[in-house]
Amino acid sequence: MRRKLEFLVATALIAVPSFAMAQEKGGVINVATIGEPPTLDPMSSTADLVGIVTQHIFETLYTFDKNWGVTPLLAESLPEISDDGKTYTIKLRSGITFHDGSEMTSEDVLASLERWTKLASRGKQAAGFIASMEAPDEQTVVIKLTQAYAPLTSLLAFNNSAAIIIPAEKQAEPMTEYVGTGPYMLKERKADQYIQLTRFDGYKSRDGESDGYGGARHQYLDEIRFVPVPDPNTRVEAAVSGQYEYVDSIPVESFDKLKNASASEPLLLKPFGYPVFVFNTKEGLSSKLEMRKAITQALNMEDMLAAAFGSTDFYAVDGAFYPESYNWHTEAGVDGNYNVGDPEGAAEAAKAAGYAGNPLRILTSRQYEFHYKMAQVAAEYLKLAGFKVDMQVVDWATLTQRRADPALWDIYITHSPFLPEPALIGALSTSSPGWWDTPARKAAVDPFTSEPDPAKRVELWGNVQKVIYDELPLIKIGDFNAVAAKSAKLKGVDPAPWPYFWNASVAK
Amino acid sequence: MIRYILQRLAGMIVVMFLVVTIVFVIVRVTPGDPAAVMLGPDATAQDIADLRSRLGLDQALLVQYAIYVGQLLKGDLGQSIFLNIPVATALLQRTEPTFFLTVFSLLIASAIALPIGIYAAYRRGSMVDQLATTVAMLAASIPSFWLGLILMQFFAVRLNLFPVSGYGGPDSSFFERMYHLMLPSIALGLVSSALILRFTRASLLDVLGDDYIRTARAKGMIERKVVLKHALKNALIPILTVLGLTAAVLISGAVVTETVFGLPGVGNLVVSAVLRRDYPVIQGALLVIAALYVLINFAIDMLYLLVDPRVRY
Repeated sequence: MRRKLEFLVATALIAVPSFAMAQEKGGVINVATIGEPPTLDPMSSTADLVGIVTQHIFETLYTFDKNWGVTPLLAESLPEISDDGKTYTIKLRSGITFHDGSEMTSEDVLASLERWTKLASRGKQAAGFIASMEAPDEQTVVIKLTQAYAPLTSLLAFNNSAAIIIPAEKQAEPMTEYVGTGPYMLKERKADQYIQLTRFDGYKSRDGESDGYGGARHQYLDEIRFVPVPDPNTRVEAAVSGQYEYVDSIPVESFDKLKNASASEPLLLKPFGYPVFVFNTKEGLSSKLEMRKAITQALNMEDMLAAAFGSTDFYAVDGAFYPESYNWHTEAGVDGNYNVGDPEGAAEAAKAAGYAGNPLRILTSRQYEFHYKMAQVAAEYLKLAGFKVDMQVVDWATLTQRRADPALWDIYITHSPFLPEPALIGALSTSSPGWWDTPARKAAVDPFTSEPDPAKRVELWGNVQKVIYDELPLIKIGDFNAVAAKSAKLKGVDPAPWPYFWNASVAK
Repeated sequence: MIRYILQRLAGMIVVMFLVVTIVFVIVRVTPGDPAAVMLGPDATAQDIADLRSRLGLDQALLVQYAIYVGQLLKGDLGQSIFLNIPVATALLQRTEPTFFLTVFSLLIASAIALPIGIYAAYRRGSMVDQLATTVAMLAASIPSFWLGLILMQFFAVRLNLFPVSGYGGPDSSFFERMYHLMLPSIALGLVSSALILRFTRASLLDVLGDDYIRTARAKGMIERKVVLKHALKNALIPILTVLGLTAAVLISGAVVTETVFGLPGVGNLVVSAVLRRDYPVIQGALLVIAALYVLINFAIDMLYLLVDPRVRY
């Protein structure tokens, strides 16, 4: 009995400190990223890399919990929304200080939201619905809308093209001082070498448990350094050698290599997002619905995904725009319209649609190798269906420029992570390249964006997905997973589309 | 002599003017838009147009060119669109890794190539000569980035002797930063040594057949002295040219090697600037690189004066 007691005491002594040590303050981590972010102003870019780095420096009024529900961050609570859905009253948390020591007030929030609606893509999207913004007192901001617009809180919560709150007197464009309220502050940026963030001692975390991007944000680490490692092979080798505590965006084919490594372990984010073929609905071959249907009918998504991602460990054949793990999941419109893979039938449909042998211009890039691989398989299926395919492989900068011109392409290939709110999907906007703007779109999207009741919105999203399958402004190819790597010593980091490190710690 | 130097300087100005103009035109006619890259995948056409306007990219090409040349005449290379700092500062920040990468690579290349090249020429047709020329041919065919990946795999991943990538963190000392340059320097040095070795051998062989070498030998001078004192000095001109040009190539950025090893050097800066269409950085970097080429060539011509008394300008 005594021996048993000694053993229990000994194990407790071992167990307790090791748990405590895992949460101990201190340590520096190096995070290998895919490159240098184009800017450190998250309002001015929708690039994921910008959001990943800057979400540690800047904060928004709201953010997302682990179930992708909107949760307050700098706001005291979720907004009070008037019955007609047109007035949002936002109460702010008190005692929040910026990195420069000044206190956050409604004046800063108002100035920041005004900058956001003028500068940020998503802010401009919201601006179309905003009638006025005012600050009745130091802790309150009121946003009045011209009509009910349910995605507003999600837009205010998103971390890229983000509605960050910065001091009223530091609203310069381009941003010259990077002063936020986040748990880490920018100490030094040496472009292409590192971005050094240090703990902000004046940070006031929310109480309670951590919950996805929301809840308590702990600052165990002294420093976080983001190091650009643009070459994917080098990122794999760096992960295997353990040089970095976290390595983002690892090619899926290196998953097994990482599994066998001792210094690091792979992190699989399942599912991460979905590749899409966006149709040009404004001009050219694909502006005709029947032609878009013929093209879609020809494609075998399973073959495309297999070529792009290799193993079913890394992809899923799924036509729904949200997988089952999301409350937005619906099968509306999918059946019979997805993964048909019938080139013979497509040939007949194309003929009936009046196809006269014009080249079908597919605009793609090798920036993301899986885009190119999918395009190659798609081209073969389309050739079988009698289409003359003009594959235009360009670099990403050229693609982003060319896709803005409807005269230059018929299909372009891109991808997206599963966004917390469907209204954030770019293709739903009539100004997004693809220019989908039909009465059916309006009839489905407008009720969805104006309905305040979350349960009804889920139902209404089903209508939007059905119209997408009816009108085919874009084709979803399937779901794919993302692989990252973390050192065995790094604790408190969960797979996330925009990985964050405020709850991370290093075991000593 | 002074007249020659003045003529060369005038020529350099013309070359630089042409470089400025050609680079400006090529950069602007290349498809791609910095505004679209900066704003990210979900930006609308209107967002892109707004940013283009703020950056002054919506102005007529000639107006943009006139503004750019005006800036250059004031010694201003412009402001990086993405880094939000002056191009000159961005280039200066990249000088250290590229400069030392060049120096180490050249030292490694010279340490390998010069003695082996001299020995191979001296023992022409021997086993050493045949082996050296074969290995040199092989090395010349290997891309330095590929060799870099192999070295990385073995020395950094398996043996953990060197870092895989990067140039050290904020607190890294000068020596730690130099340590990060070792693997890429070895990769570049080994590949560069092949060309220098072949030139050394060929140049020395050329000289070893000359009359004055035969005379020196006939006078009973020991062979080592004949090769190292008489032959090598006269064989130096082409060797110097190759060393100079290799240095110019390396200083202008061992583009792929720097990218593979994640080194924040000039080559890496140029690659990322091209990918993002950071026009001022591309223009500024290419201008500085062109100036370096011109100056290194000029310096090599001046060095000829020192090593070859027959050369007179």
